[in-house]
Amino acid sequence: MCGLCGCSDPKNAVTMTDPDTGVQTLIRHGSIHVHDHDHSHTHDHDHHHHDHDHTHDHHGHGHHHHDQDHTHDHDHDHEHDHDHHHDHAHTHHHNPSDEVVSLQQSVLAKNDQIAERNRGWFEGRGVLALNLVSSPGAGKTTLLERTIRDLSEKIEICVIEGDQMTANDADRIRDAGARALQINTGAGCHLEADMVSDAVKQLNPSPGSILMIENVGNLVCPAMFDLGERMKVAVISTTEGEDKPLKYPHMFRAAEVVIINKIDLAPYTGFDEDACVQNIKSINPEAQLLKVSARTGEGMEDWYEMLSAGKMSH
Amino acid sequence: MHELGLTRNVVSIVQEHAKDRMVKRVQLAIGPLACVEQQALSFCFDIVAEGTVLEGADLEFVEADGDTFLIKEYELREAA
Repeated sequence: MCGLCGCSDPKNAVTMTDPDTGVQTLIRHGSIHVHDHDHSHTHDHDHHHHDHDHTHDHHGHGHHHHDQDHTHDHDHDHEHDHDHHHDHAHTHHHNPSDEVVSLQQSVLAKNDQIAERNRGWFEGRGVLALNLVSSPGAGKTTLLERTIRDLSEKIEICVIEGDQMTANDADRIRDAGARALQINTGAGCHLEADMVSDAVKQLNPSPGSILMIENVGNLVCPAMFDLGERMKVAVISTTEGEDKPLKYPHMFRAAEVVIINKIDLAPYTGFDEDACVQNIKSINPEAQLLKVSARTGEGMEDWYEMLSAGKMSH
Repeated sequence: MHELGLTRNVVSIVQEHAKDRMVKRVQLAIGPLACVEQQALSFCFDIVAEGTVLEGADLEFVEADGDTFLIKEYELREAA
């Protein structure tokens, strides 16, 4: 089950690695264990799944309600016991003691709260935080390496690297001359705001610096998780199909800047640049577009100009 | 792919509110831009709910605008 997301992987822990010291910190414990824990179940139907961990809270919702006096409610509990005069498709109207509790709570509320806190922190310090998203191999790390090499004398750049495994990217960033932290999400397919919050505390970017958050290479989920960044920057490359923006519209809609990378390879890959631009515009007419080659340096000046003071503020 | 984590959020939030009372039904509001796949949520829900007060609960969906992704309401089972 869940072969897709890897949730049955017991290594579903999130770690943070400092490439300078090699010190690895566990920032989230493995959360799902599908293994036999030999807990005595009170229900005896045929489960193959003994996931007891979800009775505690791995997403940091801070209440340990099991220790509480159950006679009081959270004050954000909107419990009304009116008699269903709003007409939802209730399947069981017959039992008057059934209680419908209106919650209206965003499933991502916790992440969004932490993201807002991150955003406040960045704004207070004047740190430009960018969330770089792309499919794997579009050239996010190469783009950052070049940016760091070209700009490091003018402006401090720190990088948070997100990957499922390995600290390879953080090593590359460090070799390019910037401070970096590697977050390994294990089975996770995107970075979340609490991971960025932990990494930022350790990286401690200086006022006026740029913080590049290189998300896990994935055009799907990173679109929905706010990290507190000023904006998302999507990278697409000429070795991919020019229809990627149409295939993954959520991501290209969420990005304010789209960088078309590996423009030097376009003649060899048959990449239709105009069609790509048109596709991006059709999904996100407001997106700012840049065409670069992080390898040859072509077009990078436009990117640097955008990064320079004030250009990315609203 | 990320629906497992989202389902864990859903279960954890409802669990926190319902405390030790059994939940019969959870209703989610999902917008077309929420990037959430209902079938995947349903698939994960039964697994994640197991052993919690949400075990055996029905997961319902209602349509919403934009990128809405809310737990709209939940229904408690009759008090034992």
